[in-house]
Amino acid sequence: MSNQRQASSASQTPHLSPAELSYLYTSLSLPGSPIRPDGRSPTQFRPLTAETNILPGTNGSARIGFADGTQAIVGVKAEVERTTLSADTLDAREFDPNHDRESQEGSAAVSGHGSWVQMSIEIPGFRDDDALPVFLSEMMRESLVGSVGADESGMAGGLKGRLVINKRWHWRLYIDVLLLSQPLSYPLPLLSLTTHLALLSTKLPKLKSQGEEDPFFDDDWAVAEYLYPRSSSTLKKSPSQHVRPPVTLLVISVGDNVIFDPNREEIAVADAVLAISVTRGEGGGLKLLSIRTIDPPSRLTQPGIPNSENVNMLGATPAEENALTQATGEEEVSGVWRPRRGGVKRSVVANMVRTVLKKGGVGEEVLEGLEGVEVV
Amino acid sequence: MKSLRRDISSNPQAANVTSKVFVRSTKSGKVQKIVRELYLRQDIPCSSKLCSLCPSIAPADANGNIAPFVLSDRPAGTKAFPRGHYLVPDTNALLNGMDLFEHTGAFYDVVILQTVLEELRNQSLPLYNRLLSLIKTDEKRFYLFFNEFRMETHVRRGHEESINDRNDRAVRTVASWYGEHLRESAAKKGKKEKTVPAIVVITDDKGNLRKAKEENVTALSLSDYVAGLEDSEKLLDMISEAREARDSKGVRGELFYPEYYSMSKMMTGLRAGNLHQGVFNVSPYNYLEGSVKVPSFDKPLLILGRDNSNRAIAGDVVVIEVLPQNQWKSPSTKIMDEEAVTRNDNPESEEAEAVVTDRERKALQDEVKKAHSNRAEGKPQPTAHVVGVIKRGWRQYVGHVDSGSTGSQASSGRRQQTVFLLPMDKRVPKIRVRTRQANELLGQRILVTIDAWDRDSRYPTGHFIRSLGELETKGAETEALLLEYDVQYKPFPKSVLDCLPAEGHDWKVPVSKEDKGWKGRRDLRDLIVCSIDPPGCQDIDDALHARLLPNGNFEVGVHIADVSHFVKPNNSMDLEASVRGTTVYLVDKRIDMLPHLLGTDLCSLKPYVERYAFSVIWELTPNGEILSSDFTKSVIRSREAFSYEQAQLRIDDPSQKDELTESMRHLLHFSKIFKQKRYDAGALNLASPEVRIEAGDEAGDPLTDVKTKAMLATNSLVEEFMLLANISVATKIFESFSQTALLRRHATPPPQNFEDLINQLSKKRNMELDVSSSGALANSLDRCVDPKNPFFNTLVRILATRCMTSAEYFCAGAHAEPEFRHYGLASPIYTHFTSPIRRYADLLVHRQLSSAIGYEGEDGHAVADGVSTRGKLEDICRNINFRHRNAQFAGRASIEYYVGQALKARGEKMAAGGDNTGVDEEGYVMRVFENGVVVFVPRFGIEGVVRLEDFVLPGESSVYSVAERRELALHRTTEFDNEEYTLRVEEKGHPEKERGVTVELFQRVQVNVSSVKEQGRGAGKRRVRILITGSTDK
Repeated sequence: MSNQRQASSASQTPHLSPAELSYLYTSLSLPGSPIRPDGRSPTQFRPLTAETNILPGTNGSARIGFADGTQAIVGVKAEVERTTLSADTLDAREFDPNHDRESQEGSAAVSGHGSWVQMSIEIPGFRDDDALPVFLSEMMRESLVGSVGADESGMAGGLKGRLVINKRWHWRLYIDVLLLSQPLSYPLPLLSLTTHLALLSTKLPKLKSQGEEDPFFDDDWAVAEYLYPRSSSTLKKSPSQHVRPPVTLLVISVGDNVIFDPNREEIAVADAVLAISVTRGEGGGLKLLSIRTIDPPSRLTQPGIPNSENVNMLGATPAEENALTQATGEEEVSGVWRPRRGGVKRSVVANMVRTVLKKGGVGEEVLEGLEGVEVV
Repeated sequence: MKSLRRDISSNPQAANVTSKVFVRSTKSGKVQKIVRELYLRQDIPCSSKLCSLCPSIAPADANGNIAPFVLSDRPAGTKAFPRGHYLVPDTNALLNGMDLFEHTGAFYDVVILQTVLEELRNQSLPLYNRLLSLIKTDEKRFYLFFNEFRMETHVRRGHEESINDRNDRAVRTVASWYGEHLRESAAKKGKKEKTVPAIVVITDDKGNLRKAKEENVTALSLSDYVAGLEDSEKLLDMISEAREARDSKGVRGELFYPEYYSMSKMMTGLRAGNLHQGVFNVSPYNYLEGSVKVPSFDKPLLILGRDNSNRAIAGDVVVIEVLPQNQWKSPSTKIMDEEAVTRNDNPESEEAEAVVTDRERKALQDEVKKAHSNRAEGKPQPTAHVVGVIKRGWRQYVGHVDSGSTGSQASSGRRQQTVFLLPMDKRVPKIRVRTRQANELLGQRILVTIDAWDRDSRYPTGHFIRSLGELETKGAETEALLLEYDVQYKPFPKSVLDCLPAEGHDWKVPVSKEDKGWKGRRDLRDLIVCSIDPPGCQDIDDALHARLLPNGNFEVGVHIADVSHFVKPNNSMDLEASVRGTTVYLVDKRIDMLPHLLGTDLCSLKPYVERYAFSVIWELTPNGEILSSDFTKSVIRSREAFSYEQAQLRIDDPSQKDELTESMRHLLHFSKIFKQKRYDAGALNLASPEVRIEAGDEAGDPLTDVKTKAMLATNSLVEEFMLLANISVATKIFESFSQTALLRRHATPPPQNFEDLINQLSKKRNMELDVSSSGALANSLDRCVDPKNPFFNTLVRILATRCMTSAEYFCAGAHAEPEFRHYGLASPIYTHFTSPIRRYADLLVHRQLSSAIGYEGEDGHAVADGVSTRGKLEDICRNINFRHRNAQFAGRASIEYYVGQALKARGEKMAAGGDNTGVDEEGYVMRVFENGVVVFVPRFGIEGVVRLEDFVLPGESSVYSVAERRELALHRTTEFDNEEYTLRVEEKGHPEKERGVTVELFQRVQVNVSSVKEQGRGAGKRRVRILITGSTDK
């Protein structure tokens, strides 16, 4: 139980000894060139396999599997729903009969509403009201509905705006995320990437009715339109010009180093864990949507005991030094693990964001990689 | 980052599985993506008798039988395909040429693809049903090939390929597979390729034809194929004009009619209540006036003029929008006949054509003036216009070619030309038909169908189906009648006759009581039973008996033919009967619901023989109170079959003292008690204009055969007991089947239906009609008497009947119990039980009753099947209500035709002697219009329109020919008083008052009835002409 509660902060902390933690930390915090346990470069992602449209009954779906065996499936379902006006808009109209009705209805009905996207995450071993799934789904949903895209590509108002059919009707999206394996590492990047792919492949039936009529759809699925419209291939626009669903990347800092796609062990020793959501902005550049800090599990680890304090080692070290360290409690003893405390340096956070956003940076690499997955 | 995609092609099983994906919109507004997996197989046979491969792989049923192969091994050849050919039509070919495919002269050995069938169902349900029945018949050799399930012929939709292209490709794929397959099989048999028939794709799609050529598939357009057949001219006329009309006109042509709203716009409007949906009806007196009854309003909404009716044809389900109040009008007071108003239209030219011709416009203007002038009385009524059609009620129409429209080219031989067809049904507009055989079709009754009515065409476009024969010949006219009222008149198919008892006419009630036929049956052979029917009746449904019981009470029994014993549920005889619904009686013909053997022999309760019956037996006190009722299957032996008159004579003859006569006297006594009780309860005595035709000898005056129905006491004797039996049975089955009992109701008519009649009566006769209840109505009808005019009361009853709704069959669960009421009979519950030979409803009620009394049938298991599923029963109710109504219409139309013919025959006889070819009779004015009146002639039970020219003014000779009289109309003026319901006809500019005639509503007039050949309009159409020669009363 305690294990699971703990996991809610970042992930299940692996049972590592203080000495192992210290070793890991040291190699990861090597200035300039950290050495990762699996030999990746700091910005390198683990290899993954991805495919889309694996669930024929959904409007869009995707599966991504990391090489470590973690796998996630996401299905997106869309449903037509009548737009009901919120109580306060109705009240306002009653009190102010002269007010233009159009503009009244307009606000919510034209720009869409965040609650039209519903996300549920299922992780083995967790109840659906446990903190981790709830937190994860809210984190991903927020960047989804928050992203307001460029209007030239027909996605005025972003995803929310796309869901508006007319003033009286809208689509409701149900995004169901299913983690197939145990959450070996913090599952956020996996789930986010899979959701991104699933949304890319999501199609909505083609609308045949016009204007404020009750919606009426073409029964041919082959003419259904993508939720995130593709620009026509004849225009030869670079793919970067499309509006894309956001991705949330997990970044950790160890010392001054910034490390992407951390595995479980790496998270265990991180100074700071950040979830950074980005999407394509206007003009093809990347746009930062949100940064959330995640409580790093390293705070909860057991500290290592320096030899000087170790009773078993009493004879081996001089006693005076022991007394000194105990009194201050501040001193870092090289090779001895101490749980991280305090905040992150501004410069480190700035570095993290820069690495994600810069041209040819990690964010672009990820988005391009995902676009490389053939969406059929 | 690297990504991989699983490769499906590596899976060897993947080719067998595919899926079909589409979007489904549900009624509640949900939109679902539906995915259906298809498992492809290789054992679907080609069903050609030539094939040696398929018989070994075709799937067998549980008994190991393989469905017999359909396609002939010697298919018919044509000039182009001397080796014979199989046809593979695409959807459009079927849409355009279904009549051709049904034609018996050609189109044999046709492979119908599953793809095509499904597409057809989406486009036209009636055509789909026709195709299904074609596939079911053996003669035409149509084979439904499940190409989507067969691996070789399944076609996966390509990327960005439209559905139509994919389906076309499927058709071509099948065609080439068939060719390959048959060649392969022939090769195996060692035969030469020459024996393999050609596979011919029929398609009208140009792209498809081109691609077929590229792929080496033989493909022809429908017209090209037909052109290569014998008798091609007749066949070519049968191709639908819909597509051609669209193609040829294209851009050209002004659009006469407003466009229909889009489906989604209509649905939004209907849901929001801005638009209304209903069935489009056209006034029989004015072809420009339509009405639509919608649930939201009590009274129907008026649709005036062609613009507003916007291509709707009587019977279509339309969506309408109410017009603004300044366009409201009062209903028309003018008789308008399409034939008369638009006589000179030329079917070929379309340039000069406008939706509303000047003449029509003028006619409408007069209307508007009227609506404005007397604002007080003729209140303008809400009008509406048609904005869309939900479902076309188009059917096949019988009519004749307008000889005027064949025009000058009539002599120019076999060129294709356009003619107008005038449908028999006046509510249907003329139909433009292109034909190559205009000359032959003149003077014929022909059957056509409507294909389309585009915005740029003033009249609908249709195509010829077949000719029924010469106008006015008995055969053609009878068939026309049957077709027009959708009566199934084809002989019973073999599958139905197979359901008859093997013994045929020799069938007898088993002698031994041990026989299973006696199980659950009571032996009532000792009862003195007799039947009373109209003279010459062969299908005797009912028989009666009455006897004094030792305790001083009476036992009265009604015995009904036990048809349900012979017609088992769900066999093909039962299905056929349920489709026919009722026996249709025409003057000289009876179209039976059940095969002859049952109707007139085995079921019929003939005298002197033992018959199975279903008996209802009551114990009555001498005062006619019912002590108990009992229902049982029985065996009876009728002692005598009387006609009403014979029975009456026997009862009235005091010298007859035998048991049988006494029994009938008892029955008569009770029937009088029941009748009185019924009237006390508020039953209506309604009247409909009925005459009876008794086919007499050829030599005499044919008109003497036309008799009004005489009411004898014995008529009402039988009627009363039938009513009693029906009510008793209704109560019983409703007890047992509270949801599914088949009952009959007559809804209380809404009071506003009577408004006009009440107005007219109070204005003209100062009489009141109380419509608050059926009892009140019955009483007030009784008071509507004119001592000088004995027929007046009947006239009012006829008019009152027309204000009511018609009675209908329904399923008990469909209405709340208080709604079960039969208004006319003033009975809280009612059903039909007593005529199972001629009505399907009674047969069902028999089954329900036998199940209710626990009768188990001769084989031990109850026949509850088909009496307890409500959905099915409701379908049956809908059908039998429809058939019932049509049977009545057909019967009336038949009488009308007969009267017309009798008048004609008389006219021809008289013509030798003198000029007056008509019969002088009494008539009554039923309705007054601005330019004519409607007169009812009780002697013949007919009503007819009297136009201006048909008024004979004082001092004028009444003997003018039709043409001469027509001229008169131009010189006449009328004064029409809408509030007083009077019409004064005068000669233009004639000062003398005496030269005018005034007629008013309900007036008795002297009329001269004759049958005249229409002139000018040609085609020898005949109508009954009524001339008003003078008024009698007032």
